[in-house]
Amino acid sequence: MNNSPNKSIVLISQSDMLLFGLSEILKSSLAGEIIQLHRGDEIIDYPELSGHFLVIANAEELEKSKLLIRHVLPAEGSVQFLPLNIEPIPSPASTSLNIYDSHALICYKVNEILNSFVVPQNKEADTELTRREIEVLRLLTKGYSNKEIADQLFVSTHTVITHRKNISEKTGIKSASGLTMYAILKKIIDVSDINAEDLI
Amino acid sequence: MELFNENSKLASVILKDHSLLPVINRLGIKLGFGDKTICNICMEKGIDLNFFVETINVFHYEAYFPEKRLLDFSVSMVIEYLIKTHQYYKDFLIPENDRLIELFLSASPDQNTENELVRKFYAKFKEEFVIHINFEEREMFPYILELNRVIENPMSGELFKQKYPEYSISGFEKEHSAMDDKMDDLKNIIIKYLPPNYDQNRGNAFLANLFLFEKDLKNHSRIEDHILIPKVKQLELVLQSHE
Repeated sequence: MNNSPNKSIVLISQSDMLLFGLSEILKSSLAGEIIQLHRGDEIIDYPELSGHFLVIANAEELEKSKLLIRHVLPAEGSVQFLPLNIEPIPSPASTSLNIYDSHALICYKVNEILNSFVVPQNKEADTELTRREIEVLRLLTKGYSNKEIADQLFVSTHTVITHRKNISEKTGIKSASGLTMYAILKKIIDVSDINAEDLI
Repeated sequence: MELFNENSKLASVILKDHSLLPVINRLGIKLGFGDKTICNICMEKGIDLNFFVETINVFHYEAYFPEKRLLDFSVSMVIEYLIKTHQYYKDFLIPENDRLIELFLSASPDQNTENELVRKFYAKFKEEFVIHINFEEREMFPYILELNRVIENPMSGELFKQKYPEYSISGFEKEHSAMDDKMDDLKNIIIKYLPPNYDQNRGNAFLANLFLFEKDLKNHSRIEDHILIPKVKQLELVLQSHE
């Protein structure tokens, strides 16, 4: 099992009772993170979201926030919406949740959707850096900027940024000095190649 | 999930979540409180009851963040709490981290470059961190407190505007994320990549302290970014409307 890209749930409700109760139940689902919001537009307070999202809220709230949520959530992941009924009518259809659904049924419905998110298998399992990424990393540890790296490799700055993003995703390391350490520990570069005082 | 309230016995709160220990210290409480409830203790010590209850709940439950209610607390109360948190980092958590990392890195008999690099990386992280909190204490907090004073006493407005012609918090805001990244990186490097030529127990002790630090820092940033800064922006708008 690999947990990237993440599959997260966004729960929206004015009611803390619903939010906390449902989160508690959904802890036993396949969801990675569970984000609780009182209003859909609070999603903008979460700047660094990534992966796939299942948004659960009542129909009215979904109508209101759908556009904004689609806009804010990252384009590369998919977003699904699951309406939550608070009327006491049982809704066996997996197209909506009902607050009277059992613990197991709720998790079942949610997992069905989470499982349907397409996971690009090979890319996900692969944490080894590609040759190109190693090249980018090597230049990065020498202190070159994105622009300078792009010029050296004859690619666009945008491509360099994408490589850097992938490197960070694969290694779990984000800062430039952290990546330098990684490169040394992985013997991609030698300490004597760089100015350790400056770079770490 | 059950929130703590004013009638909770503080002893049971701590038994449930010991990571609250430094938090109650910061709020002005020492151990040895017997079976007293939060309400009793706060009255005794002259601590704002609501602020106490909300702070420990926010800290204990990651999902709990009653923004509206938190925005009611006074700026000076929030800043006092933040400064005490800084104090705890400077007086305890950081020296403790220093001690533990030294123990763990020096445990391997042969001085190796890898450990030396981790030491350097940590030193850099620490340096940035200290610069960050000093900046907040010397520049940002005084600005906010003065702004608050002007709102309460408009007479002093002219002087304030001479000193801060722009009077905008956005000039002071510094990214918390860069520091969080470094802390994450340090954890990842040790857990995933550093050759384990060190005493595992000592390594664990260092990591445990780092996780503690991370949790505390996350809450600290949460209060700054979502409570303090929005409040300051409100105050700035009030001042603008007086013009």
